[in-house]
Amino acid sequence: MIKVAVQLFGPLAEQTGCSRIELSTTGSTVGDVVAALAVAAPSLRLDRSVRFAVNTDYAEPASPVREGDVVSLIPPVGGG
Amino acid sequence: MVKVTAEPLSIDEAYADVRRPDCGAIVLFIGTVRNHHDGKSVTKISYSAFKEMAEKEFGKIAAEAAERWKTGGVYIAHRTGALEIGDASVVIAVSSAHRAEAFEACRHAIEELKKMAPIWKEEFYETGKAWIHG
Repeated sequence: MIKVAVQLFGPLAEQTGCSRIELSTTGSTVGDVVAALAVAAPSLRLDRSVRFAVNTDYAEPASPVREGDVVSLIPPVGGG
Repeated sequence: MVKVTAEPLSIDEAYADVRRPDCGAIVLFIGTVRNHHDGKSVTKISYSAFKEMAEKEFGKIAAEAAERWKTGGVYIAHRTGALEIGDASVVIAVSSAHRAEAFEACRHAIEELKKMAPIWKEEFYETGKAWIHG
């Protein structure tokens, strides 16, 4: 079991009413964390446009996650 | 210098940051809050960011510019919070020995920022609001 934090931004934070969720998971990848998140935050709607980051780098669903990591959900960006 | 800040952006800071004795060109890009979008009247824009990651992405963009175009200096700053019409939301300055490289690197920097930087834009209209991307 590892503990991680999940950060939600922009429209995803608005949708769920929260920007940070602490989770425990028996999994070890970004995909496992996202699956655990779906249970913890049932109001969250994710589609293929959402990217992921582990700490401060973009990551894939198969990317490893370790104890204490911060997993971020990155909805379509709009800087500029 | 790269940064994400809630403070108003400074053109002077950008200019001072990239001036170099060996650079004959500085290209400055300023993105400003426009009062219309898709035929709708925009009243204000609010930007939010994952600051640490956005600054890291800016750093990668600056490093790529230095490698591909041999730029002298690259300055990238993006503002967060509620901005009014006409406010600068992003300032990019690039210096290089000759103008072609500075123009190309600056164009590349803003295009990459728009694709990669974890920054979100919420537009407010006379009635309603929307998250804008792309």
